[in-house]
Amino acid sequence: MGGCEVIRPKVAVLSGFGINCETETITAFEMAGADGERTHVNRFVNGEIRLSEYDILAIPGGFSFGDHLGSGRLLGNRLRFSLREEVRAFVASRKPVIGICNGFQVLVKMGLLPGDEQISMVQTASLAANDCGRYEDRWVTVEFEDDSPCIWTRGLRRLRVPVRHGEGKFVTSDENLLDSWAQSGQLVARYVDPGTPYPSITDETLPYPISPNQSWRNVAGICDPTGLIFGLMPHPEAYHSTWLSPDWTRGKASDHGPSPTISIFRNAVEFSLQNRELT
Amino acid sequence: MGVQPWVASMVLGKSGILRIDVLPILGSGLVDSRATTLMKALPEPLGSRITAMRTSLGYSIKGEYSEGEAKQLATDLFSDPIIELYSIDGTIGAGHLPNGEDSDLTIQVGYKPGVTDNRAMAAEDGLRTIFPEKYSRVASTISYHFWFGKDNVELDELVDCLHNPILEEASVLDGRDRLTKLIPFPNVKQQEYTKPKSIDLNVDDETLMKISSEGLLALNLVEMRAIQSHYRDQDTQRIRSQYNLPTKTPTDVELECLAQTWSEHCSHKIFSAKINHSDAEEETRYTIDSLFKTHIVAPTKDISKKVDWLLSVFHDNSGVIAWTDDWSLCMKAETHNSPSALDPFGGAMTGIVGVNRDILGTGLGARPIANTDVFCFGPPDFSGHLPKGLFHPSRIFSGVHSGVRSGGNESGIPTVNGAIVFDERYIGKPLVYCGTVGLMPRNLPDGRESHVKTPKPGDLIYMVGGRVGSDGIHGATFSSLELTEESPSSAVQIGDPITQKKMLDMILEARDTGLIQVITDNGAGGLSSSVGEMAELTGGATIELGKVPLKQLGLDSWEVLVSESQERMTVGIRPEDSDEFERLASLHEVEATAIGSFTDSGFFQINHNGDCVGLIPIEFLHDGCPQLELESEWIPPRNSEVELPEPTLEELSWTLQKLLSRPNVASKEWWVRSYDHEVIAQTVVKPFVGLQHDAPGDAAVIAPLPGNTTGAVISNGIVPRYSDIDAYAMTAAAVDEAVRNAVCVGVDLSMIAGLDNFCWPDPIESEKTPDGKQKLAQLVRSNQALDDVCRAYMLPCISGKDSMKNDAVIDGQKISVPPTLLFSLIGRHKDVRKAITSDFKESGDIIFLLGLTKQEIGASELAFMLRDAGSGGIGTSVPRIDPERNIALYRALTGAMEDGLVRSAHDCSDGGLAVSLAESCFGFDGGAEIDLSELFSEDDELDEWGALFGESLGRIVVSVDPNLADEFQKKMGGHPIFKLGKTTSDGHITAYLNSRKILECEVSTLKSSWKGTLDGGM
Repeated sequence: MGGCEVIRPKVAVLSGFGINCETETITAFEMAGADGERTHVNRFVNGEIRLSEYDILAIPGGFSFGDHLGSGRLLGNRLRFSLREEVRAFVASRKPVIGICNGFQVLVKMGLLPGDEQISMVQTASLAANDCGRYEDRWVTVEFEDDSPCIWTRGLRRLRVPVRHGEGKFVTSDENLLDSWAQSGQLVARYVDPGTPYPSITDETLPYPISPNQSWRNVAGICDPTGLIFGLMPHPEAYHSTWLSPDWTRGKASDHGPSPTISIFRNAVEFSLQNRELT
Repeated sequence: MGVQPWVASMVLGKSGILRIDVLPILGSGLVDSRATTLMKALPEPLGSRITAMRTSLGYSIKGEYSEGEAKQLATDLFSDPIIELYSIDGTIGAGHLPNGEDSDLTIQVGYKPGVTDNRAMAAEDGLRTIFPEKYSRVASTISYHFWFGKDNVELDELVDCLHNPILEEASVLDGRDRLTKLIPFPNVKQQEYTKPKSIDLNVDDETLMKISSEGLLALNLVEMRAIQSHYRDQDTQRIRSQYNLPTKTPTDVELECLAQTWSEHCSHKIFSAKINHSDAEEETRYTIDSLFKTHIVAPTKDISKKVDWLLSVFHDNSGVIAWTDDWSLCMKAETHNSPSALDPFGGAMTGIVGVNRDILGTGLGARPIANTDVFCFGPPDFSGHLPKGLFHPSRIFSGVHSGVRSGGNESGIPTVNGAIVFDERYIGKPLVYCGTVGLMPRNLPDGRESHVKTPKPGDLIYMVGGRVGSDGIHGATFSSLELTEESPSSAVQIGDPITQKKMLDMILEARDTGLIQVITDNGAGGLSSSVGEMAELTGGATIELGKVPLKQLGLDSWEVLVSESQERMTVGIRPEDSDEFERLASLHEVEATAIGSFTDSGFFQINHNGDCVGLIPIEFLHDGCPQLELESEWIPPRNSEVELPEPTLEELSWTLQKLLSRPNVASKEWWVRSYDHEVIAQTVVKPFVGLQHDAPGDAAVIAPLPGNTTGAVISNGIVPRYSDIDAYAMTAAAVDEAVRNAVCVGVDLSMIAGLDNFCWPDPIESEKTPDGKQKLAQLVRSNQALDDVCRAYMLPCISGKDSMKNDAVIDGQKISVPPTLLFSLIGRHKDVRKAITSDFKESGDIIFLLGLTKQEIGASELAFMLRDAGSGGIGTSVPRIDPERNIALYRALTGAMEDGLVRSAHDCSDGGLAVSLAESCFGFDGGAEIDLSELFSEDDELDEWGALFGESLGRIVVSVDPNLADEFQKKMGGHPIFKLGKTTSDGHITAYLNSRKILECEVSTLKSSWKGTLDGGM
């Protein structure tokens, strides 16, 4: 950048129907240099605002429609049936999309993740109930694939983040698909044992609670083939400031400020600014 | 048999109901975790007689769908194509599973007609997305499919485990004709509207009381007579004739409205009563004119002269404090005991979403930002006689836990702090305390102060959110009575967090656009209370019951008025703002209906379809209830002394391990982990701290403004055991515990506010309660302690609640809770980056004990443990408070924390110093070595038991960097402070007394004892 006028990308942060992490999602984007706006889903549906006015789309965590009929299903259907073409146009114009926790479930259920080049929106994977059979709030360590098209995780190695879900076990009905997603770098975020040195991504399921849900291949988050759409079960936005970690009082009091997870949001902001320059 | 080939006529069957059932696929890494979790929870030997179990979710759908459409629904809406199979003819629901696998037996469970069915409502919403033009009704079911071994299974027991007959229907499906036994669609029986009746009160006293008890009005004779005389008044009769009302008798609408407003639940009659108190110990007699005014309002009023941050106390739905220049905080705690006894899940869930609405209904609307939950249950391993009709404490525990998890998590409000207390006397009525903190801007964009309600005559009254149904009728009066076999199931409800969340989003947007003039929630007493209360502000209100949206038609006028159906707020809107308000409601898909307007007529006027069905003077409604006059008499109870074993190294070491595994002390992590404690990204000190995130946090610290380090501290104190000796000591200990916990994280003691929440056994002497005078005396002493300690701590109470009928009379047996006070605290934290946690940080740090240790083991966890083992009593030397000494120490300590001199701080409570020390060790990978000799200089009677396990108040274990130890000691000069020893890296806790080793334990062994007891995952 370096110019005197600082351009801040506009982020549509969805709200309504039981989404409940919009406040901290906006905060994380603002700390990363964007302007977040709380946008009720129905304002897009009734035409009051248009998705194309925004540079980034975020579907935050929460309990949309109470997770009934499968987490993310009902909100995914609202978007799939009411905003299908708007969403496809948004993705086609190379604008980044993130879904966190319930937002990830929405993206998977509406077929945008793992997705395909044609944006055909057909569901090919799912997030099943955790093997432990319940909702849990605990901190995990996630490692990122180096060789991935994902624009959100560029340059990231490991992050500590909280998970807060009951349905986060990434599965699919076709092992071959899993291999192809792995080859294309789409299985970008994986649970790892924090006690092992970097890099330590493994396909063998790690024990609970290192893998909180017994996800296949320890998948914590995935991207689409373009790397623009990213979804993950953990909550990077919940750790926007250093004093939100579970054991920060054991560290030095002096090093406080934005936490390392802000890099995820900053990556998208930088990509968006470059994308704008190119177009 | 397998899945039947689809035949058009079979899909809808004769009943015209489409049944879609969804079954998780098993194998190749996929499991039915719902089934595995449930299998673990089944009691033995039932569980081991089941060889396999699967579950499926069902949807009974009333609507016009073709074969193709039904299949589309099954794939696009109801099932997940990757992980689930479905049937559209009821086969899976009946246990005819795919691939020819029939269950040995299937139990299908569904809700009874009229019970809130959240999954079905979500399904109806989903149907509208796909087929917007069709109208459908849905009911949800769940089917449990079983395969058994050789041993017989107690079918009744199994069915009991899987449903609650108050709210649910169960059907046992086996054999070939099982499809015919599926649960029918729960059609709500159409009720026939009956016109309001007039109730003749010109009757003798006995008949008056009959009217009260048969109508579940919970009014006493004096109150019934007050109503009787109101209707005998000439002026009343003259006015009533003008409105076409029965002139000399109340309508049922009016009588119900008065009963709700005057209920113990709503009007706190015992706390307002005149009490003639006598004290046999001190040989004194005196009269107290209202405990509330004397011991709660007066101290707060006096403190308010010395602080400038009390914005709104006692009169609103929660108390409000000026937290920063721009933002205020409010807090409220309530109980939901009776409903939780009848349906633990629904009771607890409505408890949590209900108290959230109190926050939303504070001032012009506050945002709920944190929940705290405190539960009192019977022991989870209770093996004594359980009266018929009561749930086992472990089922209450897990049901309440699920309810709070669902209510809190789905609302997006973090559960940041809590406690669980176990005692056998809670098996009759569990106590379920739900507390919520709210945040609001001090001023709205239009300049109004947000804590002040501003209604004017002419403002429209809107009912917002859910609809009114026959569920939740008589909750307020029901909770003002004891629990019996006849307790009405209509008083139990299931909450709907998503409807409430939509309403909450909408209301806060309306607040910020300046649309709201007045707001309150519909809780106990429904519209009669919410409109009735707000009508006092303008001097009147008129509502039209015919406009109230109903869940089912045909409700009587009084039912519409008093129904406590959930998820509703009542809001006052200026007529010129009504279009904008309704537009917002429709954006958020929230129902908002104008049902009347505020007036200055002096009356609460209730119309139904144009006819006046009730007219009550506002003054009579709110001030007409006669003051109770009660007797109390304090005779100190006689308790036997504790029989202490020989204090050998082995005995003391073993005792520590045993105490840590007692349910009251043991880790609640397995349960607490399933509450979201960090949504909104503000929780700075979480429920668990330390290296492995599993050591106990003392109080929650939150930083609710993103990027801003000004914080708030939330803590609780509760020690019902001490009531067995003296409720004064119990109360002082509860207040001190809440403050001590807050001090441990570094609260700013110049801004701490409290909430008193009393749960008492019935304290009114009667045939049923011969010891009422003593129970009332305990209440008096409790209030006196609250007054004394709050004044000394400069800790004003800003809100509170009382629940005074915590008795169960079941199966001819009366079980009363011990007098219990929950004291909750909200305070400011100047800078959350300086917050302190309980875990020791590094080996070699110096350990100090702050505060005096006395031989105070009466009613301690140790005393109860020894008594339970069969020897001696609970003792007499209950911990006594010295509030002036404590607060001086606390101020010095928080000062030292601000100066960065403290590495860890943990309070001493249940189990005393030894337990506190162990818990601080749990947070790091080391141990501690201490010498207790110095403690003995302060109390001649102190022995090893008292020093290690006594529960003297005002004590905190602190660790300090050795390089700063001198400075810390200097800073704490003049206060009782004892250098105990240091933290070590050897993984042991070792204690010496005059060079003699008196305790040695391995930290890892202690930790597994502490974590094992309540680990539901085991």
